Amino acid sequence: MHILPGSIVRKKKFDAFPYLLLIPAVLMMLAVNLTPIIEGFMMSLLKLNQYTLSQYLDAPFVGLDNYRRVLTGEHSPIRAGMTLALRNTVLYTLAVSVLSIVIGLAVAVLLNRNFPGKNLARTLLLLPWIVPSYVVGTLWGFMWQRDVGIINIVLCDWLHLFNERPFWLLGSNSFWAIVIPTVWRGWPVMMLIFLAALQAIPEDQYEAATLDGVSKWKQFLHITLPLLKPIIVIQFMFQIIDNVYSYNIVSMMFGNGAGHPGEWADLLMPLLTRQSFSYWLFGQGAAVSFVMMMIMLIFVGVWMTTFKRSMTSDE
Amino acid sequence: MSKSMSKRTTNALLNTLTWAVVALSLLPILWMVLSSLRNYSDVASGQQLDGGLTFQWQNYVDMWVNVDFFSYFKNSLVICSITTVLATASATCAAYALARFRFRGSDTVSVGISVTQVIPGMLFFLPLYMLYKNIGESWGMTMLDTYHGLIFLYVALFTPASIWIMRGFFVSIPRELEDAAIIDGCSRFGAFVRIVLPISAPGIIATATFIFLLAWDELFFAWTLTSSSSVQTIPVGIRLFIGQFQQRYDLMMAAATVSTLPVLIAFLVCQRFFVKGLAAGAVKG
Repeated sequence: MHILPGSIVRKKKFDAFPYLLLIPAVLMMLAVNLTPIIEGFMMSLLKLNQYTLSQYLDAPFVGLDNYRRVLTGEHSPIRAGMTLALRNTVLYTLAVSVLSIVIGLAVAVLLNRNFPGKNLARTLLLLPWIVPSYVVGTLWGFMWQRDVGIINIVLCDWLHLFNERPFWLLGSNSFWAIVIPTVWRGWPVMMLIFLAALQAIPEDQYEAATLDGVSKWKQFLHITLPLLKPIIVIQFMFQIIDNVYSYNIVSMMFGNGAGHPGEWADLLMPLLTRQSFSYWLFGQGAAVSFVMMMIMLIFVGVWMTTFKRSMTSDE
Repeated sequence: MSKSMSKRTTNALLNTLTWAVVALSLLPILWMVLSSLRNYSDVASGQQLDGGLTFQWQNYVDMWVNVDFFSYFKNSLVICSITTVLATASATCAAYALARFRFRGSDTVSVGISVTQVIPGMLFFLPLYMLYKNIGESWGMTMLDTYHGLIFLYVALFTPASIWIMRGFFVSIPRELEDAAIIDGCSRFGAFVRIVLPISAPGIIATATFIFLLAWDELFFAWTLTSSSSVQTIPVGIRLFIGQFQQRYDLMMAAATVSTLPVLIAFLVCQRFFVKGLAAGAVKG
């Protein structure tokens, strides 16, 4: 911790300077994060539909009725498809997070050598991450097209892997149709972070092992991985948080607001926006937001307690 | 002798593998650019590879003029630039306070910043929408479907993560420099502006690039909070375009290419600071 020594002396007198510096950021966080959470909780207790929407917070109070409807399913359009979207979101989040970290780490190890053009390779590898995610959705939606998409042209016409052209945007294939582009855009930044971490490991850590004839693979397992564990634990948590709220790729790939991603590609955020605005069921929508918030807070809490030791071990 | 030979072979193999990964990961981008330069019927039948070096530049003109992509592009540029300036400023000030001072409530602010990352604003888009709607109706200040409504939201959404990045930079600057300036009669604000900010320029550039990339990529709120084409940004424009012209992949790819260019340029110009800053911040945790 870097603290001005003077600040301890000044502590007795109220010091406005840091507060002044914080005012804009804190006010905005209160307006855009805290207010909507409180307001959302109030909305989740009200019967807010297209008839009562104009009454806003004066709409009829219904207690936990919205929660009952979205959790146990009583002809609620918000609830419809929720189980599938929840399943897809869990699988998608796990698949994207694991694949991005594994590929990112593998390529970081590959780049952590001396070879001509190393910096150029690193820059080029980062480019997919620079492509906006809505472009990623549009582009891959085009590449997945059954008849004219490049992926089927490569797989069927060039490599002859399939006799019949598969539909990538229909059925269970569509799950991979959203996972693969997300990983394509996601792993480069993992690579960048792991590369920086690998470069920070001093050479002498490996010297004794090399002298003893320990293989590179065993060195990776027993020296590199344990040293990277804190970063992997943190990055995995960030990946999960990012991907749970994934929206752009799915909504661009499956057309405009009316497009339905189908039962294997629908995720929670696309479903929640689509259903809330099509049926104007804002009370039930707010209840879903609140349930999701609790799930994420519990997940992060459990994750932090479980890995507390490995996350702080490097300090 | 044979051992160094096999080592050299392994290295050559690994180099080949590396460049193969580079090529493979760039192919979709090249495909996007190539498809944007082919005529409608070739793209609609998957024959982009035929046609050699005759390029259909007209696609870009059509997309820019006829589909009015220019208006979306202008909106994105205005909204994202203003957001970048304001969010960088607010994040820099807040990060300096958190990095240099210990005061009542500093831990609360730090926890609050972390919480905004776990439960982002987008989770509570319905209350936000209602808030924006009602501010407009009861206070007469229109927030829905305006530049300032979107900009305010973006600045607020992107500030917390940027505070963490900037804080890392400030912590790494030796505070003796400020102490010396203060002894020389500089006020604390003066020391911050005249001493600290200039040395943190790489960090500020990295943070600004980060914010610009995030803002440029924002579809969710642009989609839910705007409805007229005088405010809508590029992602909304492309999404509406997909709805209307489902088969015009040639124009869609031209639009996709053009909307990648600004962030690509920003990244290539600033990557020296950006890559280092991002990696350093992430490794430090």
